[in-house]
Amino acid sequence: MVANPSQADFDKPKRESVPIDSPSTLQKLIGRREFGPLVLLIVEIVAFSLLSTTFLSTGNLSNLLAFTPEMGMMALGMTMLITAGEFDLSVGSVFGLAPIIMWTLFNQEVMSLEAAFFVALGMSVLIGFFNGWFVTKLKIPSFLVTLGMMMVARGTALYITDGFPQRTWRADSALTEIIVGDFYIGEFRVYASLLWFILFAVVLGFLLTQSRFGNWIQAAGGNSSAAHARGVRVNRTKIMLFILTAVLAAYAGITSSIRVSAANPNSGTGYELEVIAMVVIGGTALMGGYGTIIGTIIGVFILRMMRNGIVMIGIPGLAYNIFIGAIILGMMALHSWLERRHHSGT
Amino acid sequence: MATELVRMENINKFFGRVQALNNVNFTVYENEIVGLLGDNGAGKSTLIKILSGAVLQSSGKIYIRGQEVDIDNTTDAIKHGIETIYQDSALVTQLSIARNLFLGREPLKGPGFLQWMDQDKMNVEASRLMREVGITKNIPPTTPISALSGGERQAVAIARAMYFDSDLIILDEPTNNLGVEETHGVLRFVRNARDSGHSCIFIAHNIHHVFQVVDRIVVLRRGEVVADDIDPKQYTVQEVEEVITGMRVM
Ligand SMILES: Nc1ncnc2c1ncn2[C@@H]1O[C@H](COP(=O)(O)OP(=O)(O)O)[C@@H](O)[C@H]1O
Ligand SMILES: [Mg+2]
Repeated sequence: MVANPSQADFDKPKRESVPIDSPSTLQKLIGRREFGPLVLLIVEIVAFSLLSTTFLSTGNLSNLLAFTPEMGMMALGMTMLITAGEFDLSVGSVFGLAPIIMWTLFNQEVMSLEAAFFVALGMSVLIGFFNGWFVTKLKIPSFLVTLGMMMVARGTALYITDGFPQRTWRADSALTEIIVGDFYIGEFRVYASLLWFILFAVVLGFLLTQSRFGNWIQAAGGNSSAAHARGVRVNRTKIMLFILTAVLAAYAGITSSIRVSAANPNSGTGYELEVIAMVVIGGTALMGGYGTIIGTIIGVFILRMMRNGIVMIGIPGLAYNIFIGAIILGMMALHSWLERRHHSGT
Repeated sequence: MATELVRMENINKFFGRVQALNNVNFTVYENEIVGLLGDNGAGKSTLIKILSGAVLQSSGKIYIRGQEVDIDNTTDAIKHGIETIYQDSALVTQLSIARNLFLGREPLKGPGFLQWMDQDKMNVEASRLMREVGITKNIPPTTPISALSGGERQAVAIARAMYFDSDLIILDEPTNNLGVEETHGVLRFVRNARDSGHSCIFIAHNIHHVFQVVDRIVVLRRGEVVADDIDPKQYTVQEVEEVITGMRVM
């Protein structure tokens, strides 16, 4: 234990903090925060496929993969933001507002669809900047700032449209094909949004774990004053993540509006909490300092499959929230138990 | 005579009507460990907080290598080469040893704006630094701070200060709540830091710890310096204790 012989006459240490024998690959896998959620996902898939013959059918899986990327994109942004110690309740409203802006501008023939697309994204940049600025510069908790923004954005969408959905059917352009065009692999219908989701996940996963920006995100969420003292630009990092989250929510909302051929001013209502649930179920720490993109992807699938699966096995969809709530509670208990077990001995 | 590193001149500090520091003159020379002693409430923490940017003096000046400087916040202090080791707060416990060591100064690799952290370099350097500071246990540099003991955390903070060439490393009660071996570890880290050319201010409740490690002792009493050049080799613990309590005048 003590390599230096001059240390040998010291008292025995009272405690050992780090095991020196290196754990096996299996132990490492089990020790990861994504392990619990992964097990739950596998159990879910097995259970639903045993209880329903159609759960694993091509049709159902295509269906499942159509909407999942839209929630998933929001969850990716939220993962980064929560890791930095903040969260955003306005994503559901931005998901609703962005396509309203885009389609209203296009339908009223104010501008081309492409231009309207960028105006809608530009608006989400402003919303994210505004959220971040209020949180970091005015030191108002993100709960209050983004709650306010949630109402402003939803109210704007309802006001612009008088509460009516916007037409999107004139929209067969290259842009809509790029965003959410579909194609078939055999019988399997795939939307381009799935590919975009995978791309975003890879880029953000790399950013979070491999880049300096990612180190700053984790430090900002873990101990922002220590990070600041080391020269980390904590406020700027958080503002950029608020912008990222808003842009991804806007993009997801636009994707959704093209796919279902409707831009409804109420769409996205309640998504903010479901997205936050996906993120924390996957293992990201709600109070910041640790985040996992892989865990979030697992969390997204856990909740989406739950919603899909309980309908497939004949449980009324209205019971969905019972299951979601139970999963959240169970997962939080698991993470907290693992955390305490990990820290016992230090 | 050794070269002067930091000089605090006529420092006064009031907290409302309480005068925590009264016309204090305090100098740290290059390459020495200064022990700062004094009873509870003597003003030790206040004095070093002024140096580390956590507290602003009511009046008085600070010179670094003869140049007057303003230290308004922690970032200023770090920029001027003054690093304070707190028992906990200066590290991000969720991040690994290596990521903490290089936080804010991460080495990068890769082309142009598409750069990522050079984690291999960070890990290799972190291992070397941990050995250099005197950690003899083989702790992987990817270990999160939360899995380290109090003494090991201080080793990380001291290693960071050494690596980024802080001239002055301040430790306020670093041995509180530490076990015997951990305490010896911290004393060893401090000695290693001095031997590689850094100066240290060492504050400890336990006067024996101070005697084991410092080159010179300064005593504060009720906000005033009552002795500033006690050689621990020439005085006993008992005699210095008398200075601290005011029974002996130097
Ligand atoms: N933030 C503060 N507000 C008011 N009084 C303070 C504050 N910090 C320290 N003091 C007072 O200043 C004096 C010196 O305190 P301190 O520097 O902490 O002493 P030491 O570290 O030597 O025990 C004490 O009387 C203490 O009560
Ligand atoms: Mg003190």
